Amino acid sequence: MKTEINFILNGAEVSVTTEAHKRLIDVLRGPLGLTGTKEGCGEGECGACTVIVDGRAVNSCLYPAFEIEGKNVTTIEGLQGIGNRLSVIQEAFVENGGIQCGFCTPGMILSTKALLDSNPDPTEEEIRGALVGNLCRCTGYVQIIESVKAAAAALKKE
Amino acid sequence: MSTEQRMSRFDYFKPRSLEEAWDLYETYPGARYIAGGTDLMVQVKNRVSRPRALISLRSVPGLTGIEIGETVSIGAMTTITDLIDHPELGGLFPVLLQAAKRLGSTQVRNVATVGGNLCNCSPCADTALALLVLDARAVLKRPGGGREIPLSEFFQGPGKSCMISGEVLTGIRLGRSGVGARAVFMKKGRVRMDLSIASAAVLLEMDGDTCKRARFAAGSVAPVPLRLSKVESLFENAVISKEKIEEAQKMAMDSVSPITDVRSTADYRREIVGVYIKRAVEKLLSNE
Repeated sequence: MKTEINFILNGAEVSVTTEAHKRLIDVLRGPLGLTGTKEGCGEGECGACTVIVDGRAVNSCLYPAFEIEGKNVTTIEGLQGIGNRLSVIQEAFVENGGIQCGFCTPGMILSTKALLDSNPDPTEEEIRGALVGNLCRCTGYVQIIESVKAAAAALKKE
Repeated sequence: MSTEQRMSRFDYFKPRSLEEAWDLYETYPGARYIAGGTDLMVQVKNRVSRPRALISLRSVPGLTGIEIGETVSIGAMTTITDLIDHPELGGLFPVLLQAAKRLGSTQVRNVATVGGNLCNCSPCADTALALLVLDARAVLKRPGGGREIPLSEFFQGPGKSCMISGEVLTGIRLGRSGVGARAVFMKKGRVRMDLSIASAAVLLEMDGDTCKRARFAAGSVAPVPLRLSKVESLFENAVISKEKIEEAQKMAMDSVSPITDVRSTADYRREIVGVYIKRAVEKLLSNE
């Protein structure tokens, strides 16, 4: 069972024909070629597949492809800084040791963006709470929390 | 092989009315309704469930929304995040807010629904415990009729509700008796985002030292989210002393039938339920 789905991806309208049993992550990584979104568990536990849909962080590995019709999706590829630079959040992760192998990173960054977009001044408790659904095997999370704090501070200066 | 390649095939429908949803349910034996999908998609991925088609309730009107009036109605398709963010609901029923905040993660809460959490019929369903102590009622609809039942009658076993074939849970109704009542929700997981190892919700209406009304519910320690009616009877119209609380703790531990699984042992779960009952009661009494 196939259908054409139309949605807004990283600010541009896209149209993809896909099958009923596909998930959003399949559509992004497959026909759309955006492999920044990673599948870590396929069960909504690790958050490596996190993308932002209509302003809210979701696990794309659980999101039925047919339900993305008409929605506004942001993937890691949609984040950009000025010119050819990384975005503020990405720079903060780079500079504060929030990245080691990088596999959890796209999901971490998008969860961070979703958090800071709605809560620009989060407490550490709120940061930890927001990232509960994003697992990291490398960093021990300390530098990730610091990266989020640095990103929040940098965004406030803008 | 990647999950994408291993994923079972199914058809996916987005009906625009309950009638359409019911028609599809009739037309496709082996079909299942899907709400947020955060439980069902995992079951399909792991082949615990192999539906031939998924009938999405997301486009059916009238299933979302929270109405605050003489009674409070929560649409079954209300996401957990929308429930948490509702400007009034958390203030009226703090125990429901506490439970909702402990469900899953941000990503899960943005998509998961109250109705889905209940219809999945997991003994660990977080919102179920809070709704049970609030004496919630489940609103069910099927072709040609509808019914409303106490939520305590909804759960029949792990993964099994009392709904008959094709029936849809459209919402939850709460009376005002729970408004302003002292209640608390406690959940023990291995890590912050986890299915509960054991959980409890307690609601007490006190008149001085005497308990006028008590509701106790425990999660992950029985085949269903469980009302602890013996503990409730122990408390109602009784003076709540230290001894009474200890008796309640023992009685709670005797009332449950936990299992050992990958997350915890039966003994530990039983212990936690007792500890939570004690702590919950002490916390609710100390706030006076």
